[in-house]
Amino acid sequence: MRPQSKVVTGAPAGQTESGTRQSLLPRLLMAVGAVVVLVIVAVLLSGGGFAGQLVTQMLVFAIAAMGVGFLGGYAGLVSLGQASMLGLGAYGVAVAMAKGFGPWTAIGISLLVTLLVALVAGLLAVRVRGIGFVIMTLAVGQILFGLSSSWVAVSGGDNGLIIPLNPSLGPLDLNDPIQLSFFVLAIFLVSAALLWTFVRSPFGLSLQGIKSNEQRLKTLGYSTRTHLYIGYVISVMFGGVAGILFVLTNGLITPTTLDFGHNGIVTLMAVIGGLGSLWGPAVGSVVVILFQQDLSLYVERWATVMGIFFVLVVIFAPDGIWGVGQALVRRLTGQSSRQPTRSIRGLPEGEPQGPGTPTDTELPEPMTERMS
Amino acid sequence: MRMHIGAPAQAVPFPVTSAHLSASLANGMPVHNAVRTWVNQFIVQTLNGLTLAGIMFLVSSGFTLVFGVMRITNLAHGAIYLLGGYIAYSTIQVVGNFFVGMLVAGLATALLGVVLERTLIKRMRGQVMAELLATLGLVYVINDLALATWGGNPLSLTLPGFLQNSTTLPGGIVYPNGRFFILVVAALIGVFLYYLLRRTRVGAIVRAGVDDRPMVGAMGINVRLVFTMVFALGALLAGVGGALGGTVFTLAPNADAEILTFALVVVIVGGLGSFEGAVLGSLIVGLLSNYGQAYFPALAYFALFAPLVVILLVRPQGLLGRAAA
Repeated sequence: MRPQSKVVTGAPAGQTESGTRQSLLPRLLMAVGAVVVLVIVAVLLSGGGFAGQLVTQMLVFAIAAMGVGFLGGYAGLVSLGQASMLGLGAYGVAVAMAKGFGPWTAIGISLLVTLLVALVAGLLAVRVRGIGFVIMTLAVGQILFGLSSSWVAVSGGDNGLIIPLNPSLGPLDLNDPIQLSFFVLAIFLVSAALLWTFVRSPFGLSLQGIKSNEQRLKTLGYSTRTHLYIGYVISVMFGGVAGILFVLTNGLITPTTLDFGHNGIVTLMAVIGGLGSLWGPAVGSVVVILFQQDLSLYVERWATVMGIFFVLVVIFAPDGIWGVGQALVRRLTGQSSRQPTRSIRGLPEGEPQGPGTPTDTELPEPMTERMS
Repeated sequence: MRMHIGAPAQAVPFPVTSAHLSASLANGMPVHNAVRTWVNQFIVQTLNGLTLAGIMFLVSSGFTLVFGVMRITNLAHGAIYLLGGYIAYSTIQVVGNFFVGMLVAGLATALLGVVLERTLIKRMRGQVMAELLATLGLVYVINDLALATWGGNPLSLTLPGFLQNSTTLPGGIVYPNGRFFILVVAALIGVFLYYLLRRTRVGAIVRAGVDDRPMVGAMGINVRLVFTMVFALGALLAGVGGALGGTVFTLAPNADAEILTFALVVVIVGGLGSFEGAVLGSLIVGLLSNYGQAYFPALAYFALFAPLVVILLVRPQGLLGRAAA
C-alpha cells in the first residue's frame, strides 16, 4: 500500500496552469508534434476508406470525451452519461429528419433539444457533487437510453433511425465521405479552440477554484452552483455536437450507442487520456477505438484487455496517457516535475448528502479518509 | 463502427412477465365485472412490484453497505449480480438443485469480492473517484468474461417443482409461488441483515466504521478485515440477488446495467449508505417502476425518474440519508 494521503479540499490551489510558464523547448516540441499529427490526420482523412472512417470516428468521440475531460478535470465533476448525450444529439437530427425537416434545420433542432435537456438535467445534476454527480449523470443517461429503446413511436425502438440525406451548402456536400471527414476535423478543431478559450478564461479559472475548494469560492462571493451549471451545459453540448457528427458519419443511430457500456467508454476515454488536459481525452479516444478495432482482430477478449488496461491506468497513471507524456517531456527537457493538480486523485469526494440545502456547507469530513 | 460491448441490440423489457401474467390471469379468472378485474390486476401488479422491490433490495443493500462503510461506489455491482445469476445457472445445470445454485452463486461472488478487495481496492484506499473508475473498468472485464463463458443468448433460471405452481389467493387471484418465494427470501435476508447490523458486535463495528473509521482502528479493531468482509458481503448479496433475479428476469449482457441503474436510483432515493434507506427506496422504486411498466409502458422510465427528481429537489441526501448503515 502506498502512503497516499487524500487531498481533502485544500488542494494546491496555487498550481493552476502548467502550460503558462513553460520554457521554449517543450512548446516547440508541442507545436511540431501538433503539425505532424494534423498532417497525418489530414492524409488519412483524404485517403478515405477504412482508415479515414476510423479517424473520423476517433475525432467524433474525441469531441464527446473532451466534454467529459473538461468538466472532470477542471470542475471536478466526472460525468458518466456523455454517450447518452451524444445519442441525444444524434436522435435529435434523425427524429427531426424523420418528421420531414431538412438536414440543416434538423441539426438546429438537435442542438436546441440537447441544450434544453442539458438545462433541465443540469438543474438536478449540479445539486450533487463527486460520486453523487457520477450517479446522477449515469441515471439521466440510462433514462435517455430507456426512452430511445422504448419510445418506439418517436425513436424507432431498437431498430433505431437512419438519416436519408446529409446537409450540403454551396460547394460543401456532406454526402461525400471525404468532405464529411474534413468537416468533422474542422468541428473538432473549433471545439478544441473553444475549450482552450474556456479553460483560460476567468470562468475556467473559477471552475478550477471550485474544484480545489468550493467553500472558499463561495465565501469570496462566487455563485459556485451557477458556474458548475454552465460548465455542465457546455460539457453536454460537446456530447450533442459529437452526436450530430456521429449520425452524419454513420447514417444510423440505435439505442445501443446510449447504453451504460458506451457511457462508460466515453468516460474511460477521458480518463485514459488524462482528465483536465485539453488533448488527453482526444488521445484516449484514439487509444480506445484502436483497442476496439485493431485488438479485436487479434484478441477475441479485447474488452477484458481494455478493462484491465483501464484499471491499471487508474492505479498507476492517474494523470492518464497525456499526463505520463507530459512528465516524460519535462524529464527529457530537464524541467522540474510538478505535482499534477487535475488528476483523478485530486477530485473532490462530495456526496449526495452534502450539498443541496441552500445553506449547504461542504466542509471536509474531518476524520475520515486519512488512514492508509 | 463497432462499439457494442458484446451486447445484443435489443434491450430486454424489464418486468418481462408482468404483461403475460396479467393476460393469463384475465383468461383463467371468472370475470365478475370490470372493477373486480381491475382491482385484481392492481393487486397482481402490486405483488409484482413487491417482488421487484425484493430483488432491488438484495442488490441495493449490498451496494449501500459497501458505500456506507468503505465509501466505494461499486459500479461493478450490477456485473457481479449478473455473474451470480450465471454461476447459479451453471451450478443448477450440474447439480440440478436451485438452492445449491443460489448458495454457490453467493459464495462464489463473495470470494470474488474478497479477491477484488485484497488485490485491487486496497491500492486506492480513500481515493473515492479512483475506486469508482477502477470498478468501471471491472465492469468490462467481468461482463466480457461472462460473455465468453455463457454466451450472449438470454438465459433464465427455473425454480424447483413446488415453486413453479401458483397459489390462488382470496378473490380469485392466481399468483406464482416463485414470486412469493423471492419475497420471503428477500424479507428473511433483510431481517437477518438488520439483526446483524443492529444487534451484534459485528454490526456495531460496521456501524462504527461508517461513523468514524480511524477511531475504530484506534480501538484495536482490524479495519482491513472489516473492509474485506463488508465488500465480500456486498458481493454475496449481489450474487444471491442474481440467482433470484434470474428466475424473473432474463440473464443477458446489459442486464447488469439495468440492475445497476435500479440500485443507484434506490440508494439515491433512500439515502446513500443507509440500510433502512435501501429498504424504503426499494419499495418505492420497485412499486412505482412496476406500475409504470404495467400502466404506462412507453413512459416507464419516467416512473423511475420521477422519484429521483422529487428526492433531489426536496431532500438531496435521500429519505433516510446520513442514518448509519
